[in-house]
Amino acid sequence: MTATATTRPVKGARRPRRPKGLGTHALLVLAVVISVFPFVWTIVMATNTTRDIYQSPPKLTFGSHLLENIRNVLDTIDFFGSMLNTVVVACVTTVLVLFVDSLAAFAFAKFDFPGRKILFGTLLVFMMLPLQLAVLPQFILMSEVGWVGMLKALVWPALSNAFGIFWLRQYIENGVPDELLDAARIDGAGFFRQYWNIALPMIRPAMSFLAIYAFVGAWNDYVWPLIVLTNPDHVTLQVELAQLNVGHNTDYSMVMAGVLMASLPLVIVFSVFARGFIAGATEGAVQGT
Amino acid sequence: MDLSRRGFLQAAVFTAAASGLTVACGGGSESGGTKNGKNLTMWYWGGALSDKVVAEAKTHFKSRIKLTSASIGGDFKQKLTTTLAAGGSSVPDITGIKGEDIASFLPNADRFLDLNDLGFKKISSQYLEWKTKLAQTKDGKQIGFPIDIGPTALFYRADLFDKAGLPDDPAKVAAEAKTWDDYFALGTELKKALPGTFLVNNMGSVFNIAVGQGTKRFIDEDNHFIGDQDHIRAAWNTAIRAYRLGLDAKINDQSWNSAVGKSLTTELGAAWHALDIESAAPDTKGKWRVCATPGGPANQGGSYLTLPKQCRNPEEAFKIISWILSPDNNAKSFTDAAIFPASAASYAMPAMTGPDAFFGGQKIIEVFGPAAEAIPVSYEAPADSAVMAPFMAELTSIEAKGKKPDDAWKDAVSQAKQIARRQGVS
Amino acid sequence: MSSPPVTGPAAVREHRGGPGPARFRPRRTPPAGAARPARRGVLSYWRQYLAISPFYLIFTVFSFGPVFYSLYLAFQRYDGLGTKQFVGLQQFEFLWNDPVFWLSIRNTLVIWVLSTVPTLFGALVLATLLHSVRRFKGFYRIALYVPNVTSIVAVAIFFGAVFSNDFGLVNAILGVVGIDPVPWLSDPWLIKVVIALLMAWMWTGYNMIIYLAGLQAIPQSVYEAARIDGAGPVRTFFRITIPIMRPIILFTVVVSTINGLQSFSEPQVLFASNAANQNLGGPGQAGLTTLLYFYQSAFLDNDYGYGAAIVWAFFVLIIVLVVINWRIVQRGRKS
Repeated sequence: MTATATTRPVKGARRPRRPKGLGTHALLVLAVVISVFPFVWTIVMATNTTRDIYQSPPKLTFGSHLLENIRNVLDTIDFFGSMLNTVVVACVTTVLVLFVDSLAAFAFAKFDFPGRKILFGTLLVFMMLPLQLAVLPQFILMSEVGWVGMLKALVWPALSNAFGIFWLRQYIENGVPDELLDAARIDGAGFFRQYWNIALPMIRPAMSFLAIYAFVGAWNDYVWPLIVLTNPDHVTLQVELAQLNVGHNTDYSMVMAGVLMASLPLVIVFSVFARGFIAGATEGAVQGT
Repeated sequence: MDLSRRGFLQAAVFTAAASGLTVACGGGSESGGTKNGKNLTMWYWGGALSDKVVAEAKTHFKSRIKLTSASIGGDFKQKLTTTLAAGGSSVPDITGIKGEDIASFLPNADRFLDLNDLGFKKISSQYLEWKTKLAQTKDGKQIGFPIDIGPTALFYRADLFDKAGLPDDPAKVAAEAKTWDDYFALGTELKKALPGTFLVNNMGSVFNIAVGQGTKRFIDEDNHFIGDQDHIRAAWNTAIRAYRLGLDAKINDQSWNSAVGKSLTTELGAAWHALDIESAAPDTKGKWRVCATPGGPANQGGSYLTLPKQCRNPEEAFKIISWILSPDNNAKSFTDAAIFPASAASYAMPAMTGPDAFFGGQKIIEVFGPAAEAIPVSYEAPADSAVMAPFMAELTSIEAKGKKPDDAWKDAVSQAKQIARRQGVS
Repeated sequence: MSSPPVTGPAAVREHRGGPGPARFRPRRTPPAGAARPARRGVLSYWRQYLAISPFYLIFTVFSFGPVFYSLYLAFQRYDGLGTKQFVGLQQFEFLWNDPVFWLSIRNTLVIWVLSTVPTLFGALVLATLLHSVRRFKGFYRIALYVPNVTSIVAVAIFFGAVFSNDFGLVNAILGVVGIDPVPWLSDPWLIKVVIALLMAWMWTGYNMIIYLAGLQAIPQSVYEAARIDGAGPVRTFFRITIPIMRPIILFTVVVSTINGLQSFSEPQVLFASNAANQNLGGPGQAGLTTLLYFYQSAFLDNDYGYGAAIVWAFFVLIIVLVVINWRIVQRGRKS
């Protein structure tokens, strides 16, 4: 009889649900601690000196060397330059992904045209391929067109990722009623008008999700930039960050300060926009119902 | 984050502007083709050259050439290979190549200029012959200008030696640790007197040096695999002995940093190890000394400067590198960044003969100088480092999971043979 | 490695009408143009083709073409600078006889199992818990998702420091309790455990959000009915929640298989500061994943043909595993 106690405490008001609710909260808080702890510990390490970290047992409290460590990071790598590069790449990628994917997704979701199945099926198969399969030829391709070392070499391959199409097609299929499109068509709206005036405004939550997803992906991408960005002036943040950690003797507090500086902007951006982001992820389901 | 269409449009416009900007910046470099360019770029990695000397070079050549230098991180070799393969204007005019990688670039020597054509032949006698030779193709094309070398030595904690009742004077320690066996015997005594300490950080470092002490490596000049022969087996056994005697600290991660000031009584390594030790264990200042490597000197690392074929002004580029790497400037680099010169003339210069406070005032050039000149000449095949990798990996297998040394040897040899075949070695 | 995680809604759709057979084929929406005369030339669809063309152009150039070019490379010997030389099936023969390749496959599979099982199970439990609370829901969601926003590089550096044998926090805590230091980063098994933990930490919150979306779509009437039938919470979970969620679970399993098998940056960054073992996956090559081995062969040993062969063989493996997983979950559905 306690079915709802776990899944729907709202309904279980009749039973004594306080202790159960507390237990649930306790477990969730524990999970939160685990997921947030690394950030706290990173701050601890970033505010101490490397000597403190190498001590055993290591120092567990916040220290006062944060500024010094940050200065070391700034001296060692071109932090702001690489961050600017990352921001540019992430923004360009995100906007292009949104545009290209939503347009294609709309066509796939609401129209039947010859070859639709095969075209879509191809995407499905390719999503299972390890990306690394394409790395070598992509690199050779980049050298042929002379893009090696340039930031645009990061943007285009990121656009060939089919995830956004899957995601948006799904959302449009359920979230944009056919009746609306029919009505618009009777009013004389063509394909692109339907896309721009009807579909786009209705799929904002899904677009937000995709936007953050694409942005985070571009921000954190590491392997491809590592390979293709040969020009030291055009390196992204992740590549610079990994460079801090190379070498026999590592200045850990500095590395950790770098980790902190590279992660914080994204965590802040995410926290600020998270409402829309998570709404996008969950509303998709709700709207479909 | 709610995306409105207007926001979307604005973002798109901003993006277009930003990408236009990026592209514009990206295309800024000078086009190749001409051979008297005024702007030259130079690639190296952090610590490969003295930043001070490079800065001086920029001012020295200012009137004729604008030299831009870039410190490249990550896998330098991978970056360079891919950039060379890509070609075009992104190829640097001058680039460093690490000592362990130079051999793998030799088969593609046509991607580089022959420095002998530019005048290296006249000054080559200033540089150690064995080092120069490693950057030379079989038909005599010189692609690399030696920057530095890594003569090895035995670093040891004089205070701990003293505590254990052993001699702590460099000359005496060198005499006591003349061969690997002597050295391990010394280690056994140390361990007895100071429980919890270790002589070597891992087997890989012993193996690496022991191989470098010979004149043959893994592949011979006729492109045959010889990694299964006695000279490699002997080096392997030397490494295993340290392990069997319990002198191996089995350190294969960053723990080295915290161990070097505490549980490690000695450290085998090239001259540049001094810097690593100093920054990892500043508290031990004055307690360390250096003496000759047991079993004779070897080389670890040491790099080259090269001029890729695309170089926009070979004449001037060569002048720049020969200026940066002149014996005088090499001595400066040593003072500034502990870069051990490949030019023997530098060893007598005051910049190098001074006492080193970290080593209790010892004149360490007296150890490294003779070592540098006595390093055996060996042939390093292009696939050498790829073929060596399984040996190193198997040694860590012994340390990490207690794999039987004989099994590890067998596996290492069979893997090395396979890699050799893959790389076209017979 | 982040290949595109295919997320919820594709699966969410499936149970819109409550529990029902999972259909992985897209629902056929009546085409908007259905009212018009049915038979039309291909050209009359030019707007749709125009709409999908930007993506397909990019896709063809940057994914489709490169993938097949890499197949071509797998039959060559190519050092990246010199000329290509056709060697037939030799690279695959080398691969078959290369113990390191098989070791890397084993490592990859072990790491994958060690990370995927706890990740998905933990995500499902957390999603259920989160679904049942009312307060702080937004906070929990954000706090639990945040690990996925951080970069692998940052996380790997962090884990390397915390699990360091000598100065790591974990060993320090164990020391306080009186346990000897554990060689996290040198024991072959523990290396895999650390990498798996790292991946689990990053992906649990992500999968949780997907499950949560699925849970929210389950109509309450289903639970009402179960309650009336007298089912307890555990029973409800296994008899109702899990079956309804099966399409989503299947989906996350497939995605985790694709992602989890592609671990590369984790071991690479974790052991980057180890000069002797750089890019070899740590002591005993215990953290050498297949993709790391690919990177090493292609980009460090300059053996691009062999590298291509490694990834293609690996792709076959992924397909096999995805199919097996799919089968298992599907069979579970029938029983």
